[in-house]
Amino acid sequence: MQAIMIGFFVSSMVTVPAGTFRPLYGRASDAPLPVAAFALDRDPVTRRDFLAFVRAQPSWRRSAVKRVHATPAGYLADWRDDLEAGDADDLRRPVTNVSWFAARAYCTAQGKRLPTILEWEYAAAASATRRDASREPAFIQSLVTRYASRRHPVPPVAEGETNAYGVRGMHGLAWEWVDDFNGVLVSDDSRAVGGRDHDLFCASAAIGAVDPTNYPAFLRHAVRAGLTGRTTLETLGFRCAR
Amino acid sequence: MRAATRTLTLLAATLVAAGCARREGAAAPVAHDHHAATAAADEPRASLHDLDLRWRDQRGAEVTLSAIDGDARVLALVYTSCEATCPLIVGSLKRIEASVPASKRAALRLVLVSLDPARDTPERLARWGAESGLDPARWTLLSGSDAAVRELAAALGVRYARQPNGETAHTNVITVLDRDGAIAHQQTGLDASRTSIDAVARLLP
Repeated sequence: MQAIMIGFFVSSMVTVPAGTFRPLYGRASDAPLPVAAFALDRDPVTRRDFLAFVRAQPSWRRSAVKRVHATPAGYLADWRDDLEAGDADDLRRPVTNVSWFAARAYCTAQGKRLPTILEWEYAAAASATRRDASREPAFIQSLVTRYASRRHPVPPVAEGETNAYGVRGMHGLAWEWVDDFNGVLVSDDSRAVGGRDHDLFCASAAIGAVDPTNYPAFLRHAVRAGLTGRTTLETLGFRCAR
Repeated sequence: MRAATRTLTLLAATLVAAGCARREGAAAPVAHDHHAATAAADEPRASLHDLDLRWRDQRGAEVTLSAIDGDARVLALVYTSCEATCPLIVGSLKRIEASVPASKRAALRLVLVSLDPARDTPERLARWGAESGLDPARWTLLSGSDAAVRELAAALGVRYARQPNGETAHTNVITVLDRDGAIAHQQTGLDASRTSIDAVARLLP
């Protein structure tokens, strides 16, 4: 693991090695997509991390955030004030109620970026023992259980489970922003086949679900499809990549 | 659980756009998160100027959205090698332009931002603009970084993704911005542009 010094805080990253991955949507005839090696934050960005960021960048504080960047009513709604992110336990929780723009700004400030959907799903396909457990029914079922039993408030990052890459808390803490959240165009409406959605999209390939049994992947897809860049959710945080 | 999975399978195993549609269907439901629609009457509205993005126009000059001076800015994301719905989007913008009386046209700007900035350099945009009959006095064609395109698209609610075959799949959205950079209206799908024409008319009294 590499340790990156950011001010007084150490943010650990894990190297996720190169490989291939078959995303949820694609053409059945498509080969799995290559994923280059990348570094991923071991944990989601915490409230402590984000507090340091808004201390340094006042324009991202709750009272100052631009409306185009975040819905003002929701942004950091669970903080007590611009620079009051809760007690010692709260500071160890993943930061949530942050928009995509805010998450991007945070990662950029660290010399990082958000992971892409492909990178995130590739890293998240790992169980505790196996790098690609996306075809293991027991692992998939365990995610269903974990998503259904999410706790509020979001637990501290140390309670996240470590996967085979050494990444912690990919499932069961909060949903996570990705760089290309608006890069999924597939409709969830089966009536779209031959229907009105044809004039909404310009895409020359027929695209279907490659793995219709992967319910957690559909759930994540559905969450992303409902997001806008300024959306803030209590259950939505992020981690950075490089 | 199994019933839910079956239902999801039915809903989600979907064919999307076997070929770009050329027919004009009914206007689709308006995209979510319209600042104009959801903000309270007395609340300040979100301005796309605050994205603070930098672009190069078809002359190669660096521009920001705020510097494109007009009471009504009509904006769309397309790319020059897109041969299906992009020409229809440009056609819609031309119809909007034609709907404005000549005496008021000076306050109108039409802005096209490329979804394929790697290939759509300022030079290519200038050539394509000339070929497409776009008057540079009113039409601004922009090329920017991938990050800038991703942020603008996010702010507009436009979805797009590069395909393995080199094309860029994208939703068809036309946006009308007022002088302050707030979204006055959005049109999704390829309808007859009537609502956008009305929105522009309201901004150019």
